[in-house]
Amino acid sequence: MILAAKIGLVCAGTIVAGAGALCSEGFIRVDVAQSRGELRHINVTAPAMLVPMAVQFATHMKSRDQIAKAGEQIEPYVPAIRAALRELNEGGDMTLVDVIEPGQHVRVSKSGGSIVVDVDNQDAIVHVSAPIRAISGTIQEIADSASPSDTSSNPDSRN
Amino acid sequence: MRKQIRVIPIFCLLAAGLVATAGSATAAPPERYLHVRVEDSAKGENVNVNVPLSMAETVLPAVNKGPVLNGRITIPSAQMNGIDVHAIMVAVRNAPDGEFVTVKEKNQDVKVSKMNGNIVVHVRDGKKADETVDATIPMKVVDALVSGTQPDQLDVAAALRALTDAGDTLLVTVQNATQHVRIWIDARNTQE
Repeated sequence: MILAAKIGLVCAGTIVAGAGALCSEGFIRVDVAQSRGELRHINVTAPAMLVPMAVQFATHMKSRDQIAKAGEQIEPYVPAIRAALRELNEGGDMTLVDVIEPGQHVRVSKSGGSIVVDVDNQDAIVHVSAPIRAISGTIQEIADSASPSDTSSNPDSRN
Repeated sequence: MRKQIRVIPIFCLLAAGLVATAGSATAAPPERYLHVRVEDSAKGENVNVNVPLSMAETVLPAVNKGPVLNGRITIPSAQMNGIDVHAIMVAVRNAPDGEFVTVKEKNQDVKVSKMNGNIVVHVRDGKKADETVDATIPMKVVDALVSGTQPDQLDVAAALRALTDAGDTLLVTVQNATQHVRIWIDARNTQE
């Protein structure tokens, strides 16, 4: 009985620790409310840590060529993107871009440790929120998927 | 004994004051932001962009692609046409305030002057719906831009650092019949 309790405790602890580690990077939230035609509302919240893991997993699947191509294109800019994301993460909350057009409003802002994109137009209201650390990790994963010859030509890409 | 006890709080207050003064003296300067606002009354469009200057300063040296290397932009010598930009800037810096270039045509005015430590450029183009462009660039920023050792290089990273040190500045305005563009720097992270 005691042994079973111990095993149960270890399992529960592992699950809690795993869930904690999985959620440590925050959550990606996608909220789409479609207003034109059929009324639809999609709300997805997922641990942000899953995204770089999914990209890494995808590099071993059929889509690896496409990701490798994207990696080659993005690779020269990775240090700049990562530097920008690092600075953004350290800075305060602010609106980065705000575009108002007739019937459409787009806003990109930094809120907490996340980049938030809000699009409000006649067709739909879209809200996407992604932790900056997860974005940085995903970009690094995509860049790492570039062919080895390209990666070795720019050793700064990992900085 | 009582006197000694009374003196202790005074010392504490003095010490706290000194610590506060030292803290404020060593505090990091406030973040500064580059703002861009584009208003198009004909289309009803409004675009606002806010960029922390520290981010631009950090990002630019990380871009090493094409003519951009370590925050410097190399201008191909063919485009320089033998013009020594450094020599021109030294001459402008040492010159007193005044108008350097004035061009008046039927549909166009161009004026370049130096005023209160700034290079001021004014362009009016009558052909493009009476468009006017005004640019005010602090001399320190221009100096930083041409501070590189190579005559064909512009040190944009140094210019950004100099902009950070400059006060609140309206850098560029473009105005025509329907559009209004403003680029400025201040310490606020919004355009309110």
